Amino acid sequence: MFSLMGKCISKSKSASSKRKVVIGVFGLDNAGKTVTSKALQGESLDGVAPTIGFQSNEFTLNKCEVTLYDLGGGKNIRDIWKNYYADCYGSIFVIDSSDSERIEEVHATLRDTLADRRITGKPVLILANKQDKVNALDEAELTEKLNLEQVVNENKCPCRVETCVAIKGTGKKLDKTIKTGVFWLLDNIKDNFATYDERVQEDLDVQKEENRKETAERKERLRKRREQREREE
Amino acid sequence: MGLLDLLRKLRSSPDQELRILLLGLDNAGKTTILKSLASEDISHITPTQGFNIKSVQSQGFKLNVWDIGGQRKIRPYWKNYFENTDVLIYVIDSADKKRLGESGEELEELLEEEKLAGVPVLIFANKQDLINALPASEIADEMKLTQIKDRKWQIQPCSAISSKPEESGVPEGFQWMAKNIPKGKKGK
Ligand SMILES: Nc1nc2c(ncn2[C@@H]2O[C@H](COP(=O)(O)OP(=O)(O)OP(=O)(O)O)[C@@H](O)[C@H]2O)c(=O)[nH]1
Ligand SMILES: Nc1nc2c(ncn2[C@@H]2O[C@H](COP(=O)(O)OP(=O)(O)OP(=O)(O)O)[C@@H](O)[C@H]2O)c(=O)[nH]1
Ligand SMILES: [Mg+2]
Ligand SMILES: [Mg+2]
Repeated sequence: MFSLMGKCISKSKSASSKRKVVIGVFGLDNAGKTVTSKALQGESLDGVAPTIGFQSNEFTLNKCEVTLYDLGGGKNIRDIWKNYYADCYGSIFVIDSSDSERIEEVHATLRDTLADRRITGKPVLILANKQDKVNALDEAELTEKLNLEQVVNENKCPCRVETCVAIKGTGKKLDKTIKTGVFWLLDNIKDNFATYDERVQEDLDVQKEENRKETAERKERLRKRREQREREE
Repeated sequence: MGLLDLLRKLRSSPDQELRILLLGLDNAGKTTILKSLASEDISHITPTQGFNIKSVQSQGFKLNVWDIGGQRKIRPYWKNYFENTDVLIYVIDSADKKRLGESGEELEELLEEEKLAGVPVLIFANKQDLINALPASEIADEMKLTQIKDRKWQIQPCSAISSKPEESGVPEGFQWMAKNIPKGKKGK
């Protein structure tokens, strides 16, 4: 009885305090993911270099404790994204709107990401970035060229497109459209928090189990190899 | 661009001293990377039996790089160097697919060390000049880097023996490192 009550209390407490939300930031290399992440966090935008790995940015917004996973988008590293899908309550997909040559690649990458079972049905904010460039595609052109309606509908992802200039400023000087977009994303997550949270916890459990198995298998392989080497020596 | 130029670009507090730990299996190329940074001859490098240290100074900014031998019998001594590390650089031979698992296992153990908690990790995927060198995402998977969520990590492909050190990939790695030094860690 006491423990039950304890649970109730702690639950209602966590409901009223800030939500902890992880958001994955995806998109091709050079799209502006790192700049966007740093701008949201309020860090300096000077000298951003290509990401070939992982970094997280944390900040509080819209009554949420947000953790952004900023991942590398280059061809040689993009495959790691799938390892972070399970954590995500929603995602931000950043596009270099001025790079029309890579639209097909953007389309394929977005489609693959949204089609993953751990991302499907969760909200996605599309940032049509680099609108300061003369040849940037606008919202309508991009939506059409990416066949966006079909891609998001097929995967039941609530979606919103914002055009933006991520390098415009950081922190308080953040491009307003980015803020608007992220508020929309967080509102959607809060409205469906229980559903997404349950999925995240389940998927993380599955992943943990897979990791545990793989680690055990690898340890075993290494042990055998070591034994064999010792026999040979 | 040389290392000194990179460091000059940093906005650093005066007298900031950074400790960088260079680890990885034997034959990965740690010493080669260190020497090429310092523009020293790299044609006669022998396996490191103990450690090498290089310091670079620039505008009140001091970088101490510790390069420790990676042979199996020396690895137990790595732990003597963990204290106060600002950045961990882990070097791998990208063409040595067989030992990638072993290398990943050693790294995994390092990441569990309390003294290295939260320390950013730069992985130099060295020997990219060899034809069978693996790409970054495969290395990340094989080494289980993708399970790391408690700190920043970055893979920098490089070739430490490149005849053009400025294009070897090594400076880019140090540039990343310079930008990802934990702030205020070394408060005076
Ligand atoms: N003109 C313009 N340039 C931008 C804008 N946003 C980002 N950039 C530039 O685009 C380049 C790439 O930005 P990043 O944030 O590093 O891109 P990324 O998506 O993180 O790329 P990877 O880490 O390689 O996946 C940088 O040189 C930025 O300065 C923008 O709104 N307008
Ligand atoms: N092909 C190729 N060989 C390299 C490269 N970097 C280093 N090597 C060679 O790899 C061998 C080992 O290099 P070291 O720098 O001694 O390796 P280490 O990691 O310091 O090894 P230990 O001191 O034993 O831990 C040397 O023969 C180097 O010339 C590279 O980028 N490409
Ligand atoms: Mg980036
Ligand atoms: Mg050595």
